[in-house]
Amino acid sequence: MKAKYIFIAALAAVAMLNSSCEKVSPQGVLMGNTAVEDRVEMSYKYYRENNMEQKFDYDLQDFTEDGYSFLVGADSHVTTDLGRMNEMFQIGLDNDDLFFCHLGDIADTKPEYYINLQNCIFEAKAKYVEKYYYFDEDTREYYRKDAKYPLPKEYQDIQFPFFPVVGNHDLTHNGWALWSNIFGSSFYEFDIYVGDDDNGESVYDHFIFLDTASGTLGKLQVDLIEQGVLDGKNYLNYRHTFIFSHTNIFLPQNMQFASTFPREEAYFLLKQFDEWNASIVFCGHVHKWDEQIFNAVYFLTLDSMSERNSPNPGDYLVRVKIDKEGAVELEKVHMNYVAKK
Amino acid sequence: MIKRLISLVVIATVFTMGWGQNSYIPYKTYDGEHKNEISGYVMGGNNVVTDAFGGLEVSYMRHLTPRWHVGGDAQMQFGKELFSIDVQGGYRLPVKYGNISFDAKVMYNFYHKFGFHEMSYNLSATWESAYVDFRLGETLVHYHSHVWGMGWGYTETPLLTFGFGANIRHRNNPWNLGLFFRNYDDFYYENWNINWGIRWYAKVKQRWNLFGEFNIRPAGSLSQLASKYEGSVKLGLKYKW
Repeated sequence: MKAKYIFIAALAAVAMLNSSCEKVSPQGVLMGNTAVEDRVEMSYKYYRENNMEQKFDYDLQDFTEDGYSFLVGADSHVTTDLGRMNEMFQIGLDNDDLFFCHLGDIADTKPEYYINLQNCIFEAKAKYVEKYYYFDEDTREYYRKDAKYPLPKEYQDIQFPFFPVVGNHDLTHNGWALWSNIFGSSFYEFDIYVGDDDNGESVYDHFIFLDTASGTLGKLQVDLIEQGVLDGKNYLNYRHTFIFSHTNIFLPQNMQFASTFPREEAYFLLKQFDEWNASIVFCGHVHKWDEQIFNAVYFLTLDSMSERNSPNPGDYLVRVKIDKEGAVELEKVHMNYVAKK
Repeated sequence: MIKRLISLVVIATVFTMGWGQNSYIPYKTYDGEHKNEISGYVMGGNNVVTDAFGGLEVSYMRHLTPRWHVGGDAQMQFGKELFSIDVQGGYRLPVKYGNISFDAKVMYNFYHKFGFHEMSYNLSATWESAYVDFRLGETLVHYHSHVWGMGWGYTETPLLTFGFGANIRHRNNPWNLGLFFRNYDDFYYENWNINWGIRWYAKVKQRWNLFGEFNIRPAGSLSQLASKYEGSVKLGLKYKW
């Protein structure tokens, strides 16, 4: 009798481990299939070889001195319906937001979903180029319409200013290959020149994107952070530091089935945010709006912008507006798209 | 490193298997003779944030009556620079299949490396039968920073505490080996990160028990990307009088 129960339990366990549901990877509860260490190692190599510190298009530096804004969204879980992603890009283009940030879980892991996502980004880039660039027939190159000193560029060299972090659902079922094929590195930083201070020294805003998809930074990323890889340039004078992470520090509700950081790592990160003098830490992951202040750092967790998780129109995006003096204002941005039935 | 830890546990288990003489008394059950229990263990492991760490732990338990017990634990972990102390007490209710123990615990942790003070308050019920045990409870955790001195603190939403363990032999055997899954350990409570591992015990003499654990503590369990976060072993001795 005992053997019979053991056999049934073993069968159930095997069935669970082999579940092929797109969003669920049961074996990942105890053992993940995408190692954070490998991911960070690959990302760091890509980060160095592709000069990711200059990921931010310098054409855009012309528009930051008098204040600027950027748009943040989270957990779009793209499958076949791209309505909300298209809407996010359109909202940003209509409002002249300087760039877009995404807090992870951008697509559920399946090659066709990533192809859909990539096409969506291609289309958004085409609209972006059409709005902000002109094509010079003589030189056969593109120039930013409103830049002070526009640099000639070929179409493929124009950077569409979209900066995502990686989320856990981007990676289940070995999705790292798909994600990295589009976005390259899962952690990076860049800075934006925002003017000069009273002493005539240049002032910058700093943007840090962390790979927290696995619920841990992993040993290598911890080491790189401790080595100062994401600290920015030590000779720069930073005004604001904005940090983007998929996994959150604070859990809005006890019964949300989402892992946050283990104890030591949460404390490590809170200390690190203090050392980075962070202004705002943006998080996603739990599909619930949450605001916290800890040690003078503002923690903002966004709701899911996915039409399946949030089917009704609502405020799923955040616009961050920074004026010339450096004052930061957060504005919830409404999304209207409803999935077709 | 992991392979080395597994080898150590297997060797220790095999070594102690032959020592057992008498029946094992479950942790919170008064044997009718010895009212006091003291135990201690050494531990070591590796953590993603703090690298290698090791520590010493000591516990004391007093059976006030056959049903009521109180106790306390303390530990010091090097590497993590973690200092912990707790007091706890509970009531044991015999049921048809085993015992149900209702416990309360108040714990203080000082994470010196990161400058954090942490207080945890736990209430739990543990059903312990011959082969399996199951725990359910709630934990409230508050922490605040030490070095910044600005009074910033945060109280987490109550955490569900759960644990499950199973032994390969009846608890009355002088040695045993089992598996466990839980979202807590002796000195921390997590949200949904699920520890799992192997535990064992063996009776050395009438009043002495050896025990140990090999513990895998992943991060991101419910993110379905459970990743290596911490691995550790404990090796301890318990004496009662």
